Amino acid sequence: MNFIWDGVKQAFELIFEGNDEVFDVLGVTLHVAVGATLLALFVGLPLGLACGLGRFHGRRVLLALLNAGLGLPPVVVGLIVALFLFRGAPLGGLELIYTINGIILAQAILAFPIVGAFTATAVDAVPRALFDQARALGASRAQLATLALREARVGVIGATIAAFGSALSEVGAVVLVGGNIHGQTQTLATAVLAEVSAGQYGTAIAFGLILLGLVLICGGAMTLFQYAGDERDERRFLPGWRAS
Amino acid sequence: MSGPPDVDGPKSPDIEDFSARQHRGGRGVLEARGLTVRRGGAEVLRGVDLELRRGEVTAILGPNGAGKSTLLAALAGLLPLAGGDLECHGRLASAGQVAALAQRSVRANVELALAWWGVPRGERRERATRALAALGAEELAGRRATALSGGEARRVHLARVLAVEPDVMLLDEPFAGLDPSVRSELLYAVVDLLRDPRRATCLVVHDRAEAWALADRVVVLLDGRVVADGVPGEVLERPPTPEAARFLGFDGELADAGGTLMLRPGHVALDPAGPIAARVARRVLVEDAVRLELDPAGDGRLFCNAPLPGPEVGAEVRLRTAGGVRFSD
Repeated sequence: MNFIWDGVKQAFELIFEGNDEVFDVLGVTLHVAVGATLLALFVGLPLGLACGLGRFHGRRVLLALLNAGLGLPPVVVGLIVALFLFRGAPLGGLELIYTINGIILAQAILAFPIVGAFTATAVDAVPRALFDQARALGASRAQLATLALREARVGVIGATIAAFGSALSEVGAVVLVGGNIHGQTQTLATAVLAEVSAGQYGTAIAFGLILLGLVLICGGAMTLFQYAGDERDERRFLPGWRAS
Repeated sequence: MSGPPDVDGPKSPDIEDFSARQHRGGRGVLEARGLTVRRGGAEVLRGVDLELRRGEVTAILGPNGAGKSTLLAALAGLLPLAGGDLECHGRLASAGQVAALAQRSVRANVELALAWWGVPRGERRERATRALAALGAEELAGRRATALSGGEARRVHLARVLAVEPDVMLLDEPFAGLDPSVRSELLYAVVDLLRDPRRATCLVVHDRAEAWALADRVVVLLDGRVVADGVPGEVLERPPTPEAARFLGFDGELADAGGTLMLRPGHVALDPAGPIAARVARRVLVEDAVRLELDPAGDGRLFCNAPLPGPEVGAEVRLRTAGGVRFSD
């Protein structure tokens, strides 16, 4: 049990002494997670909106693909992205292999189905009559999309939280595409892996704790935003109500 | 039974008054000719001709499944036409049967409708406030739309269509799903609002009383066809076909030489000195009266409302009729 305690102590020392190395890894992690989430939103939101709002041929196929994408194995995605990005490979000219942008690309491929599928479900749950009414009063496509995103915001922000969380914690694709290069492409999750491999359990626990803290803080903050202004929080028991 | 109808009994003065409404309408702002719509292989609308004029309120009446909502959606250009053509000289706004509001304040909902319509941002607040006030809903402005009652949501729903000030306004059952007291309150609130000399208004309504209260013109739709089109007094009192008459409440029928007289319960009264002998077949209590189903001596069946307690089932009674509409065989 001692080494766990030592690990925790070491973790707090690393965190509170302002260790540059830790901050570097933290910076890379946030850079990757924010970049991948933004890219996933850029691709996933239009797809989710199209599936949730549109009535076109192939809608169900697209929805099925997005849903299937929720179960994409990160290692396989990482492998495929890496194979395309290696020097001499079709996309080798982009020089993305072993770079942060390469990791962002792989993470976004993993995260956009989450954004797309959750957004489609959330938009689908908004009463259709509202969209029909908006169309009947001359709403443009952009206005319909804005209306759908606003009405389905709890689900859409939920999708963003899920995408961000997956981008923060992913390991397999990051290692394969980024190479887990310390100080360059190492994230908190892959740092844990590297430290454990090197037998540095204390440092591994430290990185792990920071990652957990980050997940909690980001998830909590986004949840507050998700339910901001929701009147359901204002419900109270009726005065005088008694359990019988 | 076919051929032109002729009206029995004295012409009610109401009919004269309502005829005056006919001349209010101006130029046709929306013209539909031979409108045909198919759904799932079946023709839901079969060659409907309809012209909506500025300053005129047109009510579409018909039983369930007659194609009323389909007609409204087709007029709004929301459905592909299988035949006919549609010409609209102005901007059209329609309000669906469901009062679907966005999850924000009432005022924001009306402002949102104005934004969809393309009204500049600076004008929206004032126009939204004006429309809400017109419907007696100004005190709702700050409330969240999701917290409104059914009647309040209807008011906001109507306010946002009125706010955009369209040239043609189509309303699909604006009072659907409301209980009678809220319904009559809202009816009272919109009766003057609907009539605007710059706008043609067309609404699908549920019952004759609403058509009578709101409309300058009534269109009766049966099985996808227009069977009557005219001022409410004429259409409701002198329906042109037996089918239209039956739908409009002429449920009593009395066969006589060369034709059939169709009568509403209001056209039939118990009178010991009346010319028609009948037997009471059934009685059903209605508000403050009893509705009698009567077997007359000749061919046919009549209905009338009698004051309580009224004759028992099997009793022999005498009747007189006033009004009704006759169709020759």
